[in-house]
Amino acid sequence: MQTFRGYQREDGSVGIRNLIMVIAADECAEGIARAISEKTPGTVVVTNYNTCMYGGNEEMIGTMINAATNPNIAGALVINMGCGSITPDLVAGPIRATGRPVETLTCIKESGTVSTIREGLKRIAKIVEHANATPMVDAPISKLLVGIKCGGSDTSSGIASNPSVGLAADKLIDMGASAVAGELLELLGCEHILKERAVTLEVSEKINQLISDEEKRWHVEGTQVETMSVGNSIGGLTTIEEKSLGALAKTGTKPIQDILRINATKLEKPEAPGMYMSETTMLCGGSAMHFAALGCQVILWTTGGAGFNNPIVPVIRVSGNSQLINEDIDIDATGVMRGEDSLENVSEQILKTLEGVINGEKTAIEDFGYAYCSLIQKDQRVERLLSIPAE
Amino acid sequence: MIKALRLNAADNVATLLEDAGKGETVLVISEQNETLGELELLQAIPFGNKVALRPMKPEDHLIKGGVAVGKAIKPVPQGQLAHVQNIRSLNLDIPEVMINEIITQMEIEVD
Repeated sequence: MQTFRGYQREDGSVGIRNLIMVIAADECAEGIARAISEKTPGTVVVTNYNTCMYGGNEEMIGTMINAATNPNIAGALVINMGCGSITPDLVAGPIRATGRPVETLTCIKESGTVSTIREGLKRIAKIVEHANATPMVDAPISKLLVGIKCGGSDTSSGIASNPSVGLAADKLIDMGASAVAGELLELLGCEHILKERAVTLEVSEKINQLISDEEKRWHVEGTQVETMSVGNSIGGLTTIEEKSLGALAKTGTKPIQDILRINATKLEKPEAPGMYMSETTMLCGGSAMHFAALGCQVILWTTGGAGFNNPIVPVIRVSGNSQLINEDIDIDATGVMRGEDSLENVSEQILKTLEGVINGEKTAIEDFGYAYCSLIQKDQRVERLLSIPAE
Repeated sequence: MIKALRLNAADNVATLLEDAGKGETVLVISEQNETLGELELLQAIPFGNKVALRPMKPEDHLIKGGVAVGKAIKPVPQGQLAHVQNIRSLNLDIPEVMINEIITQMEIEVD
């Protein structure tokens, strides 16, 4: 797997899908965006669900803008109602700067909802034309960034699916591709391993700082926020370190180049090939949008039987749980749990499926149903109260 | 024979791949599916839980996947369930009330 056949973007990136994003820059434009998208195949709606104000919503808007510059996205239509402070150009400007075609519409300047939908359909047709003319190229594997995440974890995750994905991640890095994981709370207790894997002391310190910040957000005195359930323990997990170790296994063993920040002021992206950690959330819907914003073309997802799916970044699902596995799952790792299959063999199956998906083959449930494109917004006020540094 | 999976050569526990009863002999295998030996269980151990491959003393680390993920709080003989009744976190413990709930729900035989 030295190359993949993809869509050449103006900014040099290469997508494995050729989609158009319809952005509702404020919540009032959601219905207009959806009406346009429903009549236009190959489009994805992303909505700012949280007011029309910019101050305090910078992180979410940043994720939205960066997701629109994902290699799988050919161009965007940005719509707002027009009475808030998030102008379409504020969102469209950085997307346009990557060379992608972007159209903007403001409902109150277009004589209302029906007119905006009508005009939006005309404008998006121009973007579709541009997208359809995108040249296909054989891209080097170094252009590939793979997101790695677990969701709906159980006993089988730490033993079968996570180590299989970890092994596949190691092989991808050896081939010259890049991968990125996140879920920092589930790395509590793994700091000593991460320290050995960090390429520099600076990266190691940054990892510790960001894990500690995440711990502060979740462990707030007087609140009942779970990090490890009775169910986890009945399933065989004895300590938080054991749970974390299972989660860490999906990141393989390669050196960690950096831990990428996602906050109100920045969204860091990989600068050289290799394995990365990030502030990608452990919450499923939001994590896929973080991966989209970081530039991942595809996600490897370990689970019991959860059919997690995202419309921008295809998701390859891996399960080792024979009681939960179903038609949504792309890779069957249950043989490892029966002692009949090896991690090596499952990792090869993962790479084979990945090779197909990055060359245009559909995943098990691509085009059928997707999670909502949740956008994570950490509350600046809470961050300040918890003494978490803002920059 | 019921199998128990040892993830790393340094590990002192293996994970049961099916429910196994007290006195039952299980086959310990490596992650590459090689047979490592047989072991008699001192108590019932459910699917996904861990059996001690070697005796542990108090303060000895529980090693899984080649990494210390807990420590013994009492002697753990070979063949016993290594879990919340005899192992604690190295960092952040589960509250006692939850540990008792886990022991009750799992019907763990505590000596």
